[in-house]
Amino acid sequence: MYIVHYYLFFTMRKHFISTDSSKIEALKKNALTVRRNIIEMLVPHESHHIGCSLSIVDILVVLYFDILAIDSHHADDRKRDIFILSKGHAGAALYATLAERGFFDKKILQSYDRNGGMLSEHVTTVVPGVELSTGSLGHGLPVGVGHAIAARNDGIDRIIYVLISDGDLNEGSNWEAFMFAAHHFLSNLVVIVDSNKMQGYGEVKEVIDLEPVTKKLASFGWNTYEVDGHNHGELIAVFEKVKKNPVQKPHFILAHTIKGKGIPFFEGKFESHYKSIDASVQKEILRTL
Amino acid sequence: MRGAIIGKIHELMKTNDKIYFLTGDLGYSVLEGIEKDFPRRFINVGVAEQNMMGIAAGLAMTGKKVFVYSIIPFVTMRCFEQIRDDICYHNLNVKILGVGSGLSYGLLGSTHFALEDVGIMRLLPRMAIVAPADPLEGSLMVKEVLARRGPVYMRIGKKDEKQIFKTPFPLHIGKGIILRKGHDVVIFSSGPILHVVLAVEEKLRRLGVSSTVVNMHTLKPLDEELVRTVSQGKKAVVTVEEHSIIGGLGGAVCETLSRAGGFCEKVLSLGTNDEFITHIGSQDYLRGKLGLSVDAIVDRIVSAVKKQPHG
Repeated sequence: MYIVHYYLFFTMRKHFISTDSSKIEALKKNALTVRRNIIEMLVPHESHHIGCSLSIVDILVVLYFDILAIDSHHADDRKRDIFILSKGHAGAALYATLAERGFFDKKILQSYDRNGGMLSEHVTTVVPGVELSTGSLGHGLPVGVGHAIAARNDGIDRIIYVLISDGDLNEGSNWEAFMFAAHHFLSNLVVIVDSNKMQGYGEVKEVIDLEPVTKKLASFGWNTYEVDGHNHGELIAVFEKVKKNPVQKPHFILAHTIKGKGIPFFEGKFESHYKSIDASVQKEILRTL
Repeated sequence: MRGAIIGKIHELMKTNDKIYFLTGDLGYSVLEGIEKDFPRRFINVGVAEQNMMGIAAGLAMTGKKVFVYSIIPFVTMRCFEQIRDDICYHNLNVKILGVGSGLSYGLLGSTHFALEDVGIMRLLPRMAIVAPADPLEGSLMVKEVLARRGPVYMRIGKKDEKQIFKTPFPLHIGKGIILRKGHDVVIFSSGPILHVVLAVEEKLRRLGVSSTVVNMHTLKPLDEELVRTVSQGKKAVVTVEEHSIIGGLGGAVCETLSRAGGFCEKVLSLGTNDEFITHIGSQDYLRGKLGLSVDAIVDRIVSAVKKQPHG
């Protein structure tokens, strides 16, 4: 097990080094813009879910700007890759990413969390590019499994990515899906955990300790990987590795992240889930990003 | 009834490769034919109804028409939020096939009774609910269910339901069917208990009370116009169902008539009361115990008609 992890780590590093540095620079800029968009959406209206939106920005940016086979002008192409955000409370991050990726006019972001707006806090398919409306945890993965079976039966070469949260892993429906996906060798299914180590009422290890989560998933029959969820090079490497992995199992990527990533006084803080930020410090935050 | 419905689905799967059939590890001795002929489109998801509903949603999002099969409490209550969020909210072509309506599993105990399912499913926007009365109506209904866009809950019996209809007839979701015409009372019936209701009509006729009998095979969208029309001028409006008197056919008819106003003094809703049934027995035995036998229903209707000031 450890040898496998070591090997993995080594090959990922190698890949990281060979990754085009201009690509990394571009992704860095995308991530910065998406973080700005999120702050501009959330802070003025004293909205919540800042921390859990910021922790997934780098994962989303790498997926949407480098990995996913998608076309913002043909959002419903039947061969496109599918991305499902199971932690629907981080809708702001997905909206900001989709707007940046050209799925809709960035002006629409201003309707987030507003009376009569279309951008609900919890992610909704009313917004172009969103594949599944979620908000209650434990829904995204089973739906992703359905997509994966259909793709395999129809001979469509697409990958289904499902981003889940630590809290998501408490839901029994996900464990039902973990068993099913392994039993059916759904190698076109990729689960990414935004492991920011916190959930609704406290720290994961205080509420329901998930560790050793990758060992659990490996014993369930999944290919497992661990990455720094804020390191674009590592993320690209792991997604490429998943695509090339010849072992016909579903894939589980534990992405270590920091809640509130990008706002120093929020980073790693539990309260970044619920607390809003005083609008007067918005400029300061945007400056220090 | 179950066999006839499964047989029809099996037949349609031969010409429509978009149809999938998922089961929650039930259907032993009924589903093997589908499994054998369509190993890829038949999936036993295991005893995991939440996952099953999510999978059905995912499949339907790619254009599949998905039947989901299990015993009613497991396929409606265990996974209610998946039905609401994944299926109804996204308006997907998932057809829930709930087996064991009402007291079909009378010897298995309360966990297997289905007496609240219509109530909760009626609340879901976009959900249609059908409850065929016999094997022929069930198999005719399959085609309608499949043709309808969006989610449908098909509440079916088990096996050995009495045959009521002998030849195929036009059937449309949302359109009730008048089976008998009378001027004293109207009886709305839902599901396999229709054969009891038809016997009630006969007995009432012998007692000098003539009844209109309506087969409400669709509980949602309710044929409200028909409910209003046939209730007009009747001495009593009666609903009969194997379901709680809260939220089912009785509830739906009451809502329709009271919203419209001026039809009758009261609706006699016959079903099960707001309590758990703590004894067991065959379906017929429990119907007798719970006031849903022919004689008990006739008595209730006769006394309701007598109480009418103008009756």
